[in-house]
Amino acid sequence: MSNSFQNPIAHGSAWTVAGTTLSSRFFLGTSHYPSPQVLGDAVRASGTDVLTVGLRRLQPESGGGNSFWQRIQALGCRILPNTAGCHSAGEAITLAQMAREIFGTTWIKLEVIGDDYTLQPDTAATLEAATALDKDGFAVFAYTTDDLVMAQRLHAAGCAAVMPWAAPIGTGRGPLNPYALETLRRRLPDAILIVDAGLGRPSHAAQVMELGFDGVLLNTAVAQAGDPVRMARAFADGVAAGRAAYESTPMPERAAAQASTPTVGVPFWHAS
Amino acid sequence: MTTFEISLNGERIDTQALTLQALLLERGYELKSAFACAVNRDFVPRQQWPARNLQGGDRIDIVTPITGG
Repeated sequence: MSNSFQNPIAHGSAWTVAGTTLSSRFFLGTSHYPSPQVLGDAVRASGTDVLTVGLRRLQPESGGGNSFWQRIQALGCRILPNTAGCHSAGEAITLAQMAREIFGTTWIKLEVIGDDYTLQPDTAATLEAATALDKDGFAVFAYTTDDLVMAQRLHAAGCAAVMPWAAPIGTGRGPLNPYALETLRRRLPDAILIVDAGLGRPSHAAQVMELGFDGVLLNTAVAQAGDPVRMARAFADGVAAGRAAYESTPMPERAAAQASTPTVGVPFWHAS
Repeated sequence: MTTFEISLNGERIDTQALTLQALLLERGYELKSAFACAVNRDFVPRQQWPARNLQGGDRIDIVTPITGG
């Protein structure tokens, strides 16, 4: 925790994904921060247990040194490498195998892009890669749309987590189709469901957590905030509040008003 | 020594390296650093680097951790 936040995050009860027990339900990306220092401070403020990282070509002139990776390791979080940039199942499988060797983890955030404008995932290729990676011993965290049947297929293929988008990556628009997300939760009660992509504000995170999602994964909403460190903490609080609300069972909505204050014994103005 | 052309991270280069590990050393990579290799889009585990032979036209990709979401 950053020293600037004196109260601990109310994570609530621990949970388990891919056989690992975590306290935070907030996964955080590591891109687009103003500086490495701000990235580190935001990670600490978020209370996250899991950071996502990517892989890109290493040019010979750099010799193999990697200060970014050294900084990330120093933060002590579990690593969820991604396959961002892949456009086919084959590319994603190869990159996942490379990530497993580098990071020493079987966890992989499977991302196969189908459309470069919306960054919408190619869900057919995602399912193909997820099936192969599961057989190869990976714990697959599959980035997908909010399509129910594809989510069911990915869950059946053995994915450790199914991760529907709330909105396209980096848009910050929040849940564009809350009904679809609610349906996913209802129809896949036993799956680990993490909302990945499109969240912009802590209220968006609270909204999906109230629906019963197991966690959220986001990056840009924190990294591109005016104060990323405070926003990281704000998201942590939003995630924790949403989860606590879900576990507390919100009241049912009613069509008509119902007074909060007892009406029996009202003085003066309703005298009959 | 015979020189042949390969693709390294999308760039065509001439090399005399007969194995993947020889290529890495020739190009100045520090073998203990955090990176992984693929040849012709197939992952090559680290322990296979010394024995993985190269030939003209091979495509080698070398990746390292970067920021990611």
